[in-house]
Amino acid sequence: MSKTRRLITVIVVLAIAFAFLFPTIEWYVLTPKEDQAIAVGSREQIRDFSRRMAYSVLIDIKNKALAGDSTDLSNQSKDLALVVSVAKKAYSDAKRPQPKKYDAASILAAFSSERAMFDAVEARFRERTLALKNLHGNALQLGLDLAGGMSVVIQADMKALAEKLGHDLSPAEREDAMKRGVEVLNSRIDKFGLTEPVIRRQGEDQIYVEIPGTPDPERINSIIMGKGNLAFYIVDSEATAALSSYLATNPLGVDERTMTVAQAGLIPEGKIIRKVYKKDSYGLDEFTGEYLVLEGKPGLDGSHIQSATVSSDQITGKPETNFVLDKEGGDLFYDLTSKNVGKTMAVVLDDRVKNYARIQEPIRESVRITGFSADEAQALALLLRTAALPISLSVVTQQAIGASLGEDAIAQGKTAIIIGLLAVLVFMFAYYKGAGVNATVAQAVNLFIMISVLTAFKLTLTLPSIAGFVLTVGMAVDANVIIFERIKEELRSGKTRKAAIDAGFHKAFWAVMDSNITTIIAALFLAQLGSGPIQGFAISLAIGNMTSLFTSLFLSKLIFDFETDVLKKQNVSISWRAE
Amino acid sequence: MKRIIPFTRYFLPAVLVSSALILFGLFGFFTKGFNLGVDFQAGVNQTVQLAYPVASISYEGKGNAEMTVSETAITLVFSGAETDSKTVVLNYKDNPTVADLAKALEALPAVKVQLEPGQENSASTLLVPTYQGNTLINLKPALVHRLPASDTERFASIDKVREAVKDMGRVSVQTINPTSQQRFMIRVQDEGKDPRFTETARAGIISGLENAFGKNRVVEVKTDFVGARFSQGLTQQSIFLVLATMVLILLYSTIRFKFEFALGAVLAIMHDALIMIAFVVWSRMEFNTTTIAAILTILGYSINDTIVQFDRVREERKLRPTDKFADILNSALTHTLGRTVITTATTMLAVLSLFFFTTGNIKDFALALLVGMTSGAYSTIFIASAFVLFWNQRKEKKGHASSIPAASAAGKAQPAK
Repeated sequence: MSKTRRLITVIVVLAIAFAFLFPTIEWYVLTPKEDQAIAVGSREQIRDFSRRMAYSVLIDIKNKALAGDSTDLSNQSKDLALVVSVAKKAYSDAKRPQPKKYDAASILAAFSSERAMFDAVEARFRERTLALKNLHGNALQLGLDLAGGMSVVIQADMKALAEKLGHDLSPAEREDAMKRGVEVLNSRIDKFGLTEPVIRRQGEDQIYVEIPGTPDPERINSIIMGKGNLAFYIVDSEATAALSSYLATNPLGVDERTMTVAQAGLIPEGKIIRKVYKKDSYGLDEFTGEYLVLEGKPGLDGSHIQSATVSSDQITGKPETNFVLDKEGGDLFYDLTSKNVGKTMAVVLDDRVKNYARIQEPIRESVRITGFSADEAQALALLLRTAALPISLSVVTQQAIGASLGEDAIAQGKTAIIIGLLAVLVFMFAYYKGAGVNATVAQAVNLFIMISVLTAFKLTLTLPSIAGFVLTVGMAVDANVIIFERIKEELRSGKTRKAAIDAGFHKAFWAVMDSNITTIIAALFLAQLGSGPIQGFAISLAIGNMTSLFTSLFLSKLIFDFETDVLKKQNVSISWRAE
Repeated sequence: MKRIIPFTRYFLPAVLVSSALILFGLFGFFTKGFNLGVDFQAGVNQTVQLAYPVASISYEGKGNAEMTVSETAITLVFSGAETDSKTVVLNYKDNPTVADLAKALEALPAVKVQLEPGQENSASTLLVPTYQGNTLINLKPALVHRLPASDTERFASIDKVREAVKDMGRVSVQTINPTSQQRFMIRVQDEGKDPRFTETARAGIISGLENAFGKNRVVEVKTDFVGARFSQGLTQQSIFLVLATMVLILLYSTIRFKFEFALGAVLAIMHDALIMIAFVVWSRMEFNTTTIAAILTILGYSINDTIVQFDRVREERKLRPTDKFADILNSALTHTLGRTVITTATTMLAVLSLFFFTTGNIKDFALALLVGMTSGAYSTIFIASAFVLFWNQRKEKKGHASSIPAASAAGKAQPAK
């Protein structure tokens, strides 16, 4: 490969690494503290916030317009600037000429009504805050030992399980259900083993969870979201129609607690009433006001779902969830749908109707459903992939929790890590002189790429994991050492700079490759089969090895070649002794 | 030309020493077992609130009186056979100070309030809510607490709390909610020796804190028994996985080298793992996930080291196919010694810094790594190479038996790769 090509490769790799790390930088450096605080609130809080903001801005601008205030609002405050940009967009969408300046009157004139303005401004606040929330999810978090996080106590509902099984639970069954509950939580929170949560049984029927990072109630909600009780029901259209005409005269006819109606005979024996929900723009379930009457028994329950994937509808772009059923489920479903062509089928998750549609033709195996938000569809897919929860869980308490290590311990750790890293780099420089600088650059880049790639795997920085990085750098220097020692030998045999460097890299290549590939094979294998900390360790080992291969074989060679060809260096600065 | 060091001479004694150490370690493992760390053991989580006592409230009337302190109001519920059931709610909005509340409470029949000196003007909103349900106030007076009003009033820091409970064994302390609220979670590890551990730990924490901060300043919020973070299955899982990984390493290095090299490399890393286990067992170092990570790290480190040296052996064999295998080994080991020393030195610099500047888990991690790295560097030369030499010498002897000249037998046995 030519030098330019190699340089471009290095730049591309660095750019990708930077892209992985960018959410972290954006969140910690570029996002003001107050915006962070709002973004980590619950979705309800974000909705309230967006509406309140939109309302107050609207009132403010109206008052200004009434007072005849004609100052340009573009640079007044961040919130007003946001409104100005919404107004700008409204003008250009309506293909109207932009006003000369954005004072209160021209902003109001951008919208057809106050309602339209409120909605547009609210939408902008919402988008901004939800985007920040998303950002928070992708940013690197500090671990429980360094910065604390959120502690949550989760209650398992044993009674519901007993009802589901139809008999009282034996101690062994309770034990088993709890154990599986903990396992499922573990696999959901700590998908790659790098998040380092604490998950423990608490008492008889509770689970204690600590999640690192700024406390965000939505995180735990999405993790224990639903009991994952997904089922398909056939809708009784006649009874549904009867119910809705009854509700037209008795708006509060349905008892919300028991989901029954007072009037006998309206709902046929054994059928059930369920409410229909849809997602609002905050991703919150919103009751549509619609009720459906369903057959008492589900046509198919979620236990037959083998996997679920998320895609987006090609025409509307709305998220779709694709369920694949197992063989038995496929047969059952085919049976069900072929018997009920023309009828309506409802998708019910945890007693809420998420969607319903007319059955056009018999369906087997693969079912495509819309009506879930992207987050929810993903969570649902994950939920089904990681096995549905054996027990239903609910949050009992939720608190912010401080760092588990004392300030002294953290300070000591920092000192040790910085000194360790410096010692390695200084030693390389002291021993290899100019080439040592080369190694130092390569290792710094190595550290950078490694951490950014791991960020994509939801890495949490704990003191041991940082210590692990220093160690990785200490060990990654090995490849540089092997190569440099080779170059020295080649120089001793009287070769020129270029020849010695080429031969050194060439001869050391397989030694470096073989030793690293063996480790990578081992690490990938552990990452596949291991769980929790073993998996996390293996992933970081594998990635650390790959990045160090890249920097020591590729980047370091490029630096040498650059010095030879561009800086026209004649000899190799690789030792303080004259060789 | 460098002077070749006759490593092969020391192979036999080294193997004997290693075997003895490993046997000693295994003996310890089966008799004493690991000193399992906090991740593998159950414990008690206790949340405590440190606060100023404000007033003690009692009820001397008939029937029962229950009191609930919430964020916004004090609620009293009177019930029982001989009294009229009624509920009284005293809002903080109407009673902004403790003195106001006391007045309102005393106005109720048979309720007595004993104000702590100097607390009359404290704001009602600072009162600490009752956590464990409602408090019966007729049996003995109930103490009501309040949070510190400002940072200058704070009397408990996390360090002081740590100091106060440090005699409880393995304890960790974390703050809950903002530090200004003086609420802490204290975790004590259950060593499994005390059947009434939850009770002992609970009482111990409370008395430790009371000694440090004063008798009435400690409010117990809740105490829970929590299970282990990782089941001991994790240890078994890691042992199984490590063994399976070794098979993979064996396969790959057989393809890249030869079977005897592959087997030598795997023996060497097994040696390192066993030496580390011996060290962890006999030093009674806490066995936790960090220790598992240390052992796995050393496996990676050691296999690296071994492969690099074997690569050199492979190369020298190609250059001088007729030389005696022992000579080739000595020469290859001597040539890579510089690299081994430098790599080990740089890595050790990082680890030594961790060892000297930290305490607790990370210090243990560093110490385990130091032992493992030493073992790793040593095992490459004295275990992996010794095994390969042993294997080749046996082959050479077999060659003698079938009366083929030694030199050509060696040549045949070592086709250039």
